[in-house]
Amino acid sequence: MIQTGIAIDLGTSGFRVQALDLDSGAIIASAISTCHPLPGSNVIDHIHFTLEAGLETANSFVIQALNRLLEGLNIDLSRVVRTAVCGNPIQLSLFISQDIEDLAYAGSKKLESLGKSGVVRDACIIKAGIIKELILPEDSEIIIPPCVHMEVGADALAMIIKTGILERNETAIVTDFGTNAEMALFHNGVIYTGSTAAGPAIEGRHISCGTLAVPGAVSDIEPEGGRFRLTVLDERLLPEKGDLISLPEGETAEKCGSTPVTGITGTGVIALISEALENKLISIPQINSTDGLLKLTENVSFNRNDLMEAGKATGAIRTGHLTLCANAGISPDDIQTACLSGAAGTYLDVRKAQTLGLVPPLVKTVIQAGNTSLAMARDLVLQPEKTDEMSRLAEKLRDTYCMFSSSKIFNRVYLLEFSYWTEGMPLNLYRSFLKKYGLPDFNPGVSSPEIIRTVENQLGETGSTPVAVVDISCREELTPTGCTGCKACEIKCPQKAIHVGENQPPVVSVDLSACNGVSCKNCERVCPEKCFSLNGYFQKFAGQTACL
Amino acid sequence: MKLSDKMAYESYADMMFGTAIKPVTTKHGLVIGGGFVIPEIVPHPRPGSEKTLKTLMREFERANFDALERCVLVGHPAIVIENEHISQMTNNPDWGMEITIQTAKQIEEFKIKYGLKAAYRATIADIRRPDRVNLRDSEATAKVLESFEKCAEAADIISIESLGGKEIFDYSIIRNDITGILFSEAILGGRDMEWLWTRIVDIAERKKCIAGGDTDCARSNTAMFMAGGFISKDIPHTLAALTRAIGAARTLVAHECGATGPGKDCGYENPILKAITGMPMSMEGKSSACAHPDLCGNVIAAVCDLWSNEAVAYHNMFGGTTPAVFAEILGYDAAAMNSAVALGFQKEFQACLVNSDRYRGPHGFILSPDNAWHIGKAIVENSRSMYARSKAAAFKCAELLLGDPNLRITGYEKESLLGYLKVLESLPDEENDFIDLCMRKYKNVNGFKPDSYGLQ
Amino acid sequence: MKYSTDTSGIFTRFDMEIEVTRRSIRRISSDFALQAIADCVADGDEEKTEEAVKEALEQKDPLEIIHEGLIPGMNEVSRLWDEGVYFLPQVILSSDAMMAGIKLCEQKLGKPLKKKGKIITHTAEGDIHDIGQSIVNALLNADGFEVINLGTDVPIDVVVEACLAHKPIMLTGTALMTTTMSAFPKIAAKLKSMNFNIPFVCGGGAVNEEFVTGFDLGIWGKEASQAPAMAGDILEGAHWQELRSKWNG
Ligand code: B12
Ligand code: SF4
Ligand code: SF4
Repeated sequence: MIQTGIAIDLGTSGFRVQALDLDSGAIIASAISTCHPLPGSNVIDHIHFTLEAGLETANSFVIQALNRLLEGLNIDLSRVVRTAVCGNPIQLSLFISQDIEDLAYAGSKKLESLGKSGVVRDACIIKAGIIKELILPEDSEIIIPPCVHMEVGADALAMIIKTGILERNETAIVTDFGTNAEMALFHNGVIYTGSTAAGPAIEGRHISCGTLAVPGAVSDIEPEGGRFRLTVLDERLLPEKGDLISLPEGETAEKCGSTPVTGITGTGVIALISEALENKLISIPQINSTDGLLKLTENVSFNRNDLMEAGKATGAIRTGHLTLCANAGISPDDIQTACLSGAAGTYLDVRKAQTLGLVPPLVKTVIQAGNTSLAMARDLVLQPEKTDEMSRLAEKLRDTYCMFSSSKIFNRVYLLEFSYWTEGMPLNLYRSFLKKYGLPDFNPGVSSPEIIRTVENQLGETGSTPVAVVDISCREELTPTGCTGCKACEIKCPQKAIHVGENQPPVVSVDLSACNGVSCKNCERVCPEKCFSLNGYFQKFAGQTACL
Repeated sequence: MKLSDKMAYESYADMMFGTAIKPVTTKHGLVIGGGFVIPEIVPHPRPGSEKTLKTLMREFERANFDALERCVLVGHPAIVIENEHISQMTNNPDWGMEITIQTAKQIEEFKIKYGLKAAYRATIADIRRPDRVNLRDSEATAKVLESFEKCAEAADIISIESLGGKEIFDYSIIRNDITGILFSEAILGGRDMEWLWTRIVDIAERKKCIAGGDTDCARSNTAMFMAGGFISKDIPHTLAALTRAIGAARTLVAHECGATGPGKDCGYENPILKAITGMPMSMEGKSSACAHPDLCGNVIAAVCDLWSNEAVAYHNMFGGTTPAVFAEILGYDAAAMNSAVALGFQKEFQACLVNSDRYRGPHGFILSPDNAWHIGKAIVENSRSMYARSKAAAFKCAELLLGDPNLRITGYEKESLLGYLKVLESLPDEENDFIDLCMRKYKNVNGFKPDSYGLQ
Repeated sequence: MKYSTDTSGIFTRFDMEIEVTRRSIRRISSDFALQAIADCVADGDEEKTEEAVKEALEQKDPLEIIHEGLIPGMNEVSRLWDEGVYFLPQVILSSDAMMAGIKLCEQKLGKPLKKKGKIITHTAEGDIHDIGQSIVNALLNADGFEVINLGTDVPIDVVVEACLAHKPIMLTGTALMTTTMSAFPKIAAKLKSMNFNIPFVCGGGAVNEEFVTGFDLGIWGKEASQAPAMAGDILEGAHWQELRSKWNG
């Protein structure tokens, strides 16, 4: 009988699951979700949710979503003997129902007062039966890889291992272009790691017309003559040639492609800023057009505030790079190879990223590595002994891990970035400050590195089978006692996640995966009857399905 | 078309307000540039009045009447009324015509009743948007020409603010790109004007009407407004001044095609044109504060023949409606200048006007009669090509700006100016090479159509 | 034609004036030593400021050095920052330089300088994002306030106790994480229950106006540069409600 293994990547913006034939190592089936089941857009939102709704509820959300993906694989799950899960510390903890309160706060005082300092997350192998509700065979085993530190987890280890920088005998840096921006610098046999929490702008959030990679999202902008060619994601999320437009007016010069533009992704934002800078349409922090907007279409535009948000995020990455370099005693100019991982890292245009300082200036090689987390999970399923390799690496990294939060260098450089992006401080003043602080200077140029793309799409390999895209969004309905049906909640919800029915008493439904999470709670605040309880929905959703 | 190679004025000292070497006389016998400064009033219809021909005619009837009446009321002997077409009037050539006929009648009535000398200038709207239509071959072009035909019938003077090159200009100005500005003015604007003005002059000759002139409003005034006053810095004033000098070489084309003046009021480059052509010019400065601020409120009057207010929306003020009020102000301004002439103090009066603004900023400085004349001279001495003369105008302008220590320029303005000079110096000598370069650089700018300009 | 070279009665070249005053710090003193101190502050050079102050202290009164050298120098920096000539990192360096100079003068005086008013700043419990707070500190220092910096990750009780002990005119809090901002309403409630109604200005990327104005004493701080101005209002007698209605909404 064929034995099956399952590789799982639990990402902050969605889950990916693959089934493998353990004998041949072949991929049998793949399934992905387009969102995370928990309300909110970043790990802190997920944690916050967990703190309010309870660990059990959060775990239940995650497992139910995962079950849907497993079903989406359309294979005989009874043949599964081994599963490996990779992801950041928070996702892994939610998966195995481990307390995450230590991850919710950053300061050591708070953690001590909670009695939660120094929590270690080592590798372990558990039986699937331990995890409530999970539809995998009870005695099949699940491999949970280790974490380095609360912010640097198995996903970061995967990135270091799978990009192969340790084997290249040169100074190299890997960066995950995600909200947390984990990064590792490899120099003279030592690995320096850190995490800069760049923020959601890198993924197109917190930008007025920003969006995750969804159909209709602009993912790239290329100059074409005096105008600009958009690349737009189509219905299957594949990049398609879009309209030819003029900037800053956003007038269409030539129609192309079938998907109407709905927003702009993180890579699109990087491309837009970089092109606008080169064409003098931006003088940071100002946009040089009469209405202060860079228009891509009539309705999709980019404003000064967006520019500053994007700047704060990209600035965090350059700051992280500089800090690691200072720790290693080198200049960013000494870095020969840069590996970019994460969805944004895979798709971004290296030249454009370089103009914004996201890729070190003089690199000779750039590797765009895709989702290394899923690739690592596949490795672990096929060769469980690789877990030890990860543990050894994790141990080693704990010594040279750079706590950016207590790094004076990080603080100083980030202030320079902040001033550069929000006040328009000139780059030469920025650099003279680096000198003043005794920090490595860098060359603000753009090199033409050799680019190696190791994957074709987000998943890496998919085998010969198609990818199932599974809807894991969860809606829940309630009739709040005292509700008058005034629709204040529906109107004030920034995510349009609420729908108030027309009947009396009204049925109020919430799309929990679209909801921004407990840090928002606009709905509760605006309800004149004070009868709307977000938590009520969470409890109902978790409870109901628990009985199923 | 032959490019001007001589100065009409041998010296700037001879240039004076009220008098032009080549005065013109209207159908109704009003002499412009013949010794007196005459006010030129420009009323503008209120939004909403353009809904039907009837409402629009009524609006202009009132506005023009109020201006004429006020002249009689306070004793201004002569006036020119200019109506700048709103797009509807050119889009429906009959509208423009009806309003022209109506105004001619009003003027006639005032002449008969009071002996007031008046003339009517119809300024056709250039509805050919360069980024939208082919300038030479489109419905809009046909409408523009038809409007000229129809208005020339009854108007004394016809004019236009032509838009050729505007697409490249707009693209360049926000990018601080002097090459694009030069291309849009000298090559594109110049070619479009040659094409258009040959036709306008032909119409004017056939209809016994005066082909007045054009203006660089769409380009140089845009630059001037972007440079703004003393506390705005969208673009440097020095760039606006260079644009003006370059633009002068473009507006001149109208006169080379046969336009006789009076040039259009908002052409702040007109002192340069007067120096070259000797033709009468309309000007506006402090009097056009109702439409926009500028830094050359008095100096621009130094050599004017008509004195205008650019455009004022029709509405009530305490002292009457705006056309009446502005006609009164303009007329008194003119009366002061004419008194200076009567007393033989015109040189002194001119010196007062010039000194008011000569050193206020780059624009006032280069439009002072002496400097304007020098820029004109650089233009005629480089009559080899439109490109050569426009570039020469820019260099002369820069040389003047940097050469007078009394003109203070901020560090930012000066640094920018030196930057533009570097770019200009790096440009090819020959027009054809310059065109090649620009065609490569700008061929993909939104809406740019080389065949609008007879370029391949 | 005659051209008048004196145009002062004809027009004013505001653009030149703006630029000239913009370019560099204005002369603040005819005294060489005091001007040198101001220049060092403006350059943000802490060591040189200290040297200059030490030298000046040999002949001058410490209060004179502070009020006619260090503070005017800093005021010039603030002005240049307002006008977009200087940038935040420069302001912070200058503020540090000024503080170092003041410290030397205080040593000589034998007692601390009387400041405009005491302000306590902190970053919320569980939060380590202190870049915003350090900007606030520097700007408050620069404006002559006494800043009691409680640092980052400050437990609620520590904040409340510090308020009771120091009796500041204003308390500030910074939170960049949505999990940590919930400390603010708790602090406000405790202060209120003790009838200690000082304005509590909360800022940082996590909080927004709606959140902060949702609890008593809370005033939302959008930008660090508002902090000195708000404190100035308090000195003029503004109550927390007045501050809120002026700066928020
Ligand atoms: C720099 C940064 C860091 C640095 C912090 C360095 C430091 N010492 O402060 C480092 C890299 C250490 C860091 C770490 C973390 N970070 Co962080 N970080 C950021 C980042 C990129 C910028 C924040 C910042 O400094 N902004 C600049 C300052 C100047 O702005 P500010 O503080 O808001 O201040 C302005 C105003 O708010 C106002 N203001 C502030 N206070 C006050 C007070 C008064 C009185 C007034 C008037 C005004 C005022 O004035 C300032 C401007 O004038 C943001 C993302 C982003 N793009 O914003 C994430 C972000 C804040 N971090 C985040 C997170 C989650 C973390 C981590 C917990 C990550 C993790 N996964 O573990 C860790 C902490 C772990 C640890 N133990 O250290 C999240 C928070 C998410 C949330 N929903 O809460 C963010 C939003 C990024 C994200 N992932 O979405 N981070
Ligand atoms: S308003 Fe309520 S439902 Fe809507 S995003 Fe905010 S918390 Fe979620
Ligand atoms: S705001 Fe409250 S009362 Fe109004 S519809 Fe929503 S839940 Fe019902």
